[in-house]
Amino acid sequence: MPASSLNPAVPIPQAAAAERPSIPSILHEWVTTTDHKRLGLMYIMAGLLFFVISGCMAALIRVQLAFPNNDFLPPQMFNRMFTMHGTAMVFLVGMPIIAGLMNYLVPLMIGARDMAFPRLNAFGFWIFLFGGGLLYFSYLAAPGLSGAGSAPDVGWFAYSPLTGKAFSRGHSTDYWILSIMISGIGSIASAINVIVTVITMRCRGMTLMKMPMFVWIVLVVAYLIVIVLPPLTAAQIMLLLDRFLGAKFFDTQAGGSAVLWQHFFWIFGHPEVYVLILPGFAVATEIIPVFSRKPIFGYAVMVGASVMIGFISLGVWAHHMFTIGMSAMSNTFFATSTMLVGIPTGIKLFNWLGTMWGGKIRFKTPMLFCVAFLFQFLCAGLTGIMLAVAPFDWQLSDSYFVVAHFHYVLIGGLLFTIFGAIYYWFPKATGKLLSEKLGKWHFWVFLIGFNLTFGPLHIAGILGMPRRIYTYDVGRGWDVWNLLASIGVIFQAVGILFFVGNILWSLWKGKKAGDDPWDAWTLEWSTTSPPPPYNFEVLPEVRSRRPLWDLKHPTDPDWKYE
Amino acid sequence: MPGNETKPSSETPTHIALPAPTMWPMVTAFGITLLVTGLVTNLAVSVVGLVVALVGAVGWWRDVLPADRHEHVPVVPPSERAQPVQVAAGRVEHLKLGQAGHRVRVPAEIHPYSSGLKAGIAGGAVMAVLALGYGLIRHGSLWYPINLLSAAAVPTLATATTEQLRAFSSTGLAVGIFAHGVVSLLVGFVYAVMVPMFPRRGWLWAGIVLPLFWTGLFYGTSKFINPALAGRVDWPWFVVCQIAFGMVTGYVVARSERIETRQTWPLAARIGIESQEERE
Repeated sequence: MPASSLNPAVPIPQAAAAERPSIPSILHEWVTTTDHKRLGLMYIMAGLLFFVISGCMAALIRVQLAFPNNDFLPPQMFNRMFTMHGTAMVFLVGMPIIAGLMNYLVPLMIGARDMAFPRLNAFGFWIFLFGGGLLYFSYLAAPGLSGAGSAPDVGWFAYSPLTGKAFSRGHSTDYWILSIMISGIGSIASAINVIVTVITMRCRGMTLMKMPMFVWIVLVVAYLIVIVLPPLTAAQIMLLLDRFLGAKFFDTQAGGSAVLWQHFFWIFGHPEVYVLILPGFAVATEIIPVFSRKPIFGYAVMVGASVMIGFISLGVWAHHMFTIGMSAMSNTFFATSTMLVGIPTGIKLFNWLGTMWGGKIRFKTPMLFCVAFLFQFLCAGLTGIMLAVAPFDWQLSDSYFVVAHFHYVLIGGLLFTIFGAIYYWFPKATGKLLSEKLGKWHFWVFLIGFNLTFGPLHIAGILGMPRRIYTYDVGRGWDVWNLLASIGVIFQAVGILFFVGNILWSLWKGKKAGDDPWDAWTLEWSTTSPPPPYNFEVLPEVRSRRPLWDLKHPTDPDWKYE
Repeated sequence: MPGNETKPSSETPTHIALPAPTMWPMVTAFGITLLVTGLVTNLAVSVVGLVVALVGAVGWWRDVLPADRHEHVPVVPPSERAQPVQVAAGRVEHLKLGQAGHRVRVPAEIHPYSSGLKAGIAGGAVMAVLALGYGLIRHGSLWYPINLLSAAAVPTLATATTEQLRAFSSTGLAVGIFAHGVVSLLVGFVYAVMVPMFPRRGWLWAGIVLPLFWTGLFYGTSKFINPALAGRVDWPWFVVCQIAFGMVTGYVVARSERIETRQTWPLAARIGIESQEERE
């Protein structure tokens, strides 16, 4: 534990501390840091970097699909693009940004000085980063050193038997396996750290039912990660054995089972969707009350719903596999369990609305992103329920309808809340407020772009357009929807430019944030912006879920009612 | 803790011990990455990776054993610390349940579910009488409306002629009674749940608005659910039957004695962790 031991100590030279640090010394500080805040920021920055790379790939994919019979990209490169885009967005963008938010915020929110295992935390970050680097290294190394292949081109879920040695020559698939596997070590390390930190390091008075909702939800996420990543790793090791040592786990011609891979992958893959979206819920659950000027509606039910989502999500994986021809009983079970997830999720949506209802809502940029999230995630949820109906899924599985559905989850849900989180906590991390004007430009342009891109793709999917096709013929009714989708990408790119410009401008010329710019209620706002390395001079003690409210309203504290 | 503050657990220290910066986790991670990269490049890369990972692991080991290495970070001077939290100027006025202006309508008292059962039976009976009356007056047959209703589930009735629908069908009778009975009971339950939540003019909602909603829903979907009925239904009679059902069902529910709910209790009391009596 960070502050528990007193020997041996490393003194800080006072004279050196007073001097302006050189760039190498700054780099050294960041590279060797075990501070949860720095590691959190490094996770987020790395995630954003991969986001830009993967976003550019998505833009190229959309250029290719903008017109029928287009040949802007060669087919092989197109396959690599969608594989790298999908893989990176899930493993190198979503996961690390979530890990970054968890790292940065959890100790501050629970009144601790650091994570339980600071060195493991650093290890987790670095192995994730090197894993990400290894994935992209495949572009250079696979043809350069092994003479075959390039970046992976088997799709982000790498179905067997396509990944078999016979169909995937060279080492591109091996790069996919190895890079994801070692990045997964980082995710497991982060998850264990979050669990131990939350369980053991909460400040005095913070019982489980007094934790901020953000902390509750990331605790559920951490448990999910620990449970669902090992099946993926196991499957990847089996696939490595197939590819390197001639094992036959997934070799259908030698008695293996391609469906086995699908089970292993989706036992990980569907809970992974919740690993990604639950932190989005966590962010919304922090932002919406603050900007509605009301405590969260139904805290206990929200906690229960989060746990239920985590639990139910472990039993829905085969809804990705309706088309393989399962038994009627299996179809019924997985359709039912998938629909059941809608209940706790619906509870959450109603509770967010209940929080806003009658509130004195301030539509600042973080709140705008969260409101858009509510609408878009509702759309995503409804199309998810549609896809849970097995006969409907038989018609639209692997079509652009599915692509539109999960982009509404991951962009309309997760990315919008990540943007909200950045606008909300950027002042805490940097001491500077992001520009509201640029933020609103970012919001509206990106909102238009996102819906313009992915709304029409639902229709293209219903009209029968399969996902992952390289191009398509004229006259199938898909042209206009694809063109609209590609035009939407331009808006999204402009929105991202506003975002990047806002960050750079605000770091340079932004208004000072002060300790508590949003008049918020959780503990991170009780320390300076940015917080000192030790977070709090003295560890706080709380009596309610909104400790800062108690301080600001001594005649009407929350603990009287909880 | 006295008062209502987030109060310090001790006096402010001058230095705070934090884990010392270390490069070994990064070195270990790099070593492991090289170790696996050797699988797809060259064995030598794995050998180097193994060595680097071992060096990193040993360095890490020495960081934490026999005791954690840490640094003493000086606490910033008071002028650079977080400003004390200011007491808010305004006061919060809490609305009480039932107070004027309170927009929340929690059904503190509800009709028992058994009233829904009774109401469904009563409403269903009245509706059946009216429907049978329609059959007798318009088609000279009691069986016509029953067979028409059953056509949703009985394929032979779905394709039957009007003459065949007027004739007795044991299957039609069984299916019709079952379908009408089940739907009547379920709608009766819905009424029992919903009637306490109507803001005012319960008779209007229960007797007219809900039957009209239901009729609209059925109008929109009947050609999919029961094409035979959709093609032959006499809509004015249908609406009259629905309104009669709604009025009788709503009346029976409204007449039942209300029972108290636990909606206004705190969650802890509702799930039995503490008793309501203790709180009071």
